[in-house]
Amino acid sequence: MLIHWKSHFLWALCLPLLTISRSLASETFEEELTVRALRDGKVASRFSFTTILDGETPRNPQNLSVEDTSQHYTLFPLTLGQILREYAVTEMHLSLNAGKWNYKRWGYPDEADVGSGAELWAWMGDGGVSTVDERWRGLRNGLAGLFCASLGSLDELRTTSPSFSFTPQGGVPDSPFPYAIRHASLPSEHVCTENLTPFLKLLPCKSLSGIASLLNPHRLFDADWHGMGLHVLWLPDQGVQVRLTFQSVADPLRPSANKRDWSFASIFDRTIDRTCPSATSSRVAVALPINEAYSIHPQPSSIEQDHAIFNLEGQNAPLDVSMQWAAEFEYLATYFRTAETPLSVRRTLQGSSQDLGKLSVFITNDGTVEIQAAYLETMPWIVQFYLHTMTFHVDGVPRADLVHNISYIPPIPHSRAMTFQAVLTLPSRSTVHLSIDITKAFLRYTEHPPDAQRGWDLSPAVLVPLGPGAEGRGRRIYTPTLLVDLATPDFSMPYNVIIFSCSLVAFIFGSIFNLLTRKFVVLHAESN
Amino acid sequence: MKLLLDVGLVFPVLVAGRLLLALTNLSGVLKHNHQLSSPLTSYLNLQEGIYLFKNGIDPYSGGVFRQSPLFLALFTTVLPTSRTACSIIWTLCDAIGAWALVQLWRARQRVAQTSRDGLIAAAYLLNPYLFLSTLALSTSSFENTLALLSLLFAARGLASPSLLAAALLLQLSLSSVLLLAPSILLLASSPVSQLASPRPFVGNGKKILPLLAEFLVYTTVLTLASTLVSSGWAWIPQTWGASLTLPDLTPNVGVWWYFFTEMFDHFRPFFLMVFSIHLVIYVAPVCIKFQYDPLYAAFVLLGVLGTFKPYPTMADPGLFLSMIAIFPEIYPYLRYPIVTTLLHLHAALLMPLFHHLWLNQGTGNANFFYASTLVFACANGAALTDCVWAGLRIAIGEPQDGYVVVQE
Repeated sequence: MLIHWKSHFLWALCLPLLTISRSLASETFEEELTVRALRDGKVASRFSFTTILDGETPRNPQNLSVEDTSQHYTLFPLTLGQILREYAVTEMHLSLNAGKWNYKRWGYPDEADVGSGAELWAWMGDGGVSTVDERWRGLRNGLAGLFCASLGSLDELRTTSPSFSFTPQGGVPDSPFPYAIRHASLPSEHVCTENLTPFLKLLPCKSLSGIASLLNPHRLFDADWHGMGLHVLWLPDQGVQVRLTFQSVADPLRPSANKRDWSFASIFDRTIDRTCPSATSSRVAVALPINEAYSIHPQPSSIEQDHAIFNLEGQNAPLDVSMQWAAEFEYLATYFRTAETPLSVRRTLQGSSQDLGKLSVFITNDGTVEIQAAYLETMPWIVQFYLHTMTFHVDGVPRADLVHNISYIPPIPHSRAMTFQAVLTLPSRSTVHLSIDITKAFLRYTEHPPDAQRGWDLSPAVLVPLGPGAEGRGRRIYTPTLLVDLATPDFSMPYNVIIFSCSLVAFIFGSIFNLLTRKFVVLHAESN
Repeated sequence: MKLLLDVGLVFPVLVAGRLLLALTNLSGVLKHNHQLSSPLTSYLNLQEGIYLFKNGIDPYSGGVFRQSPLFLALFTTVLPTSRTACSIIWTLCDAIGAWALVQLWRARQRVAQTSRDGLIAAAYLLNPYLFLSTLALSTSSFENTLALLSLLFAARGLASPSLLAAALLLQLSLSSVLLLAPSILLLASSPVSQLASPRPFVGNGKKILPLLAEFLVYTTVLTLASTLVSSGWAWIPQTWGASLTLPDLTPNVGVWWYFFTEMFDHFRPFFLMVFSIHLVIYVAPVCIKFQYDPLYAAFVLLGVLGTFKPYPTMADPGLFLSMIAIFPEIYPYLRYPIVTTLLHLHAALLMPLFHHLWLNQGTGNANFFYASTLVFACANGAALTDCVWAGLRIAIGEPQDGYVVVQE
């Protein structure tokens, strides 16, 4: 009896040990804020919050049928972790942006995902009890709930698999089954406070302390450009990494026409009063101007490669970094004659008719070397390409030889989206003009959105420079989104149409059968 | 003019005129026109399919290309694809159609040559519904020519060519299966006009089953050939399936597109079934009623197709209207030819106008064009019912004073 009781006691002692053994995998949290002044006087800031789950691997999809190990996290966001485990997501990237990133003036962004609206892409392994598409649906619905965004609308109509342009950024565990990508974007998604609040809840210190205390919605959503991102990767030598990012482009010139001086107080209307105790590293990096007289306050902790570094550990007084220039800002036309990036893309949809149009893409290579670039175009089925009308001109001369490796997945009406990928050779110092005729679909009246006359937003195209030596290699360049005007039926009269058409059919049918079934007789007119 | 018609010069002159017209740049303007080519017959879609096929992408994996794989086989091997060459091929195809119509008329009259030949050729080659569709390079021109050839061979009693043409036509358009019954009846009897003297079916009824079997063999072989060309069965739902499920709601001159644009999702399958069956319902009554003149039954069914088929173009009612030329015996018994003509004129003028106002100008909405297609359907229905009436009424003959002809 005593022995029996003892074994129970030991068992009871071991139970919590067993359950917490997984949580012993150490978690680290780092946060960083990068601020850099842009050439046109605006200030780009990038917040990055990184949590690493040491030694953890993404869930193997083949184990989806067996119950998952329990999840105990201290810093890692549990709500996100549950979604990732439930759908066995190896890698995923979500971005919610508002505005148009101006590559020409602002250069490459710190975080590549700057396409307007919502964009979600994920790599998942196959071979589970549920298919990749089923888990993709679960993932986007889960994230839609988590971020209060209309990600549920990223349905089959918008989902594509552009494996060429969106390669995994981390590692993928070995598996006998292939990994597949699912990508969807929703350019009409509006990003606002209701998305930022759940974003902040995923951070260990919320917005109470650390650099996250600068995330003031009143100022962020007033910026010229802003966007948030969520990136989940697997780093084989470290573990699962979750990185939450927030980028914004503020305009200090807005209140004062020629003073581009900025400070935390002026951009965010807040200062960093406390450090986040959970963070193992917490720092602010400010890019220092070259060949210009400036002053920065307070004194940075250190200077690394033209960046002033402020370490927040042990910070007692509120930190309000500010920067002043000696000279007043002047708009110089010469600034913008040369682009910050060697490649720039201009994409337009031409034609005023509601049934036909032409997609016209101008890609300029300002560099001195020839660049190979992958071009990706994804369209919902409402816009269909006439691929046989594709022309490719360099400065007016037809150059069909510059397009190769075309892969094209045609759209299926009412369901699958179209994917067009090609590798383009972009000669140095020249503009390449790609043009394709398109046809606009006619939708059922139930398929139109409530504001049908507004038109449909089309996802941005993506250009990825490839090949050794290309500047910005592997960094995606998003084009602005397009708006397509589709023909609309009359929404007020489905009953009328059904009645008119059916009456006409019945009338003709009746007349013919009346003639066919009745006999002709000759009557004497007077007897009538 | 009389002399021209007599010496048979009119046919070469008309074809030469049409060829000159084909060489102008009109096809570039007309090929986008929704009234002249439907998603199932559009030249742009054909070119896209050929391009995808040549580049190793299955054209049937998407929703743009909905034409028969036989077109892919022809245009990637034998036929050229440049627009000028195509314009000439399409015009020659129309010339063959006109020739078939003239021969059909001669077979019906059992004479080698008549003074009406030139007029009948002109009725086909100068019919604006037909020649504008041909200028727009719509493949419905091929469908019309095959339909006429099938009827011509049937009228001459050539079973195999007729059934082969009918099987080819079925590959291009599923709805044309309606023409099979009158074609087989025509093979089993004669094309000579019996409208004025109705009698029970006099042909050889035993021939019908072997003819049907032969048709099935041709269809199977062509279906297998199509499958071989497109290396898979995916073409069937994309081509034949499209006429049953209507995935593409691009406006056309028919009654289906706006009806199914505005249809409630719950009732869509039901009404698709109703509209498909509605077409088939006409076959038996028309063939039974006109059993003494199967060519006339075929003519009436062409009228039904022109009015009610899922993806019609102007060329479908156009064929019906041109065929009226070979039935001059019914003219005195038409009740309202003027009204029908005016309805056609009204619809033919309003449709392009309202289409332009809706899609290009943006000053009219879809109801404008829908209304004009309703008028067009009325015009076709009026012509059809009038022809059915006249075809039956002719049996009674001219009324005498003091007597009237009515239906009981």
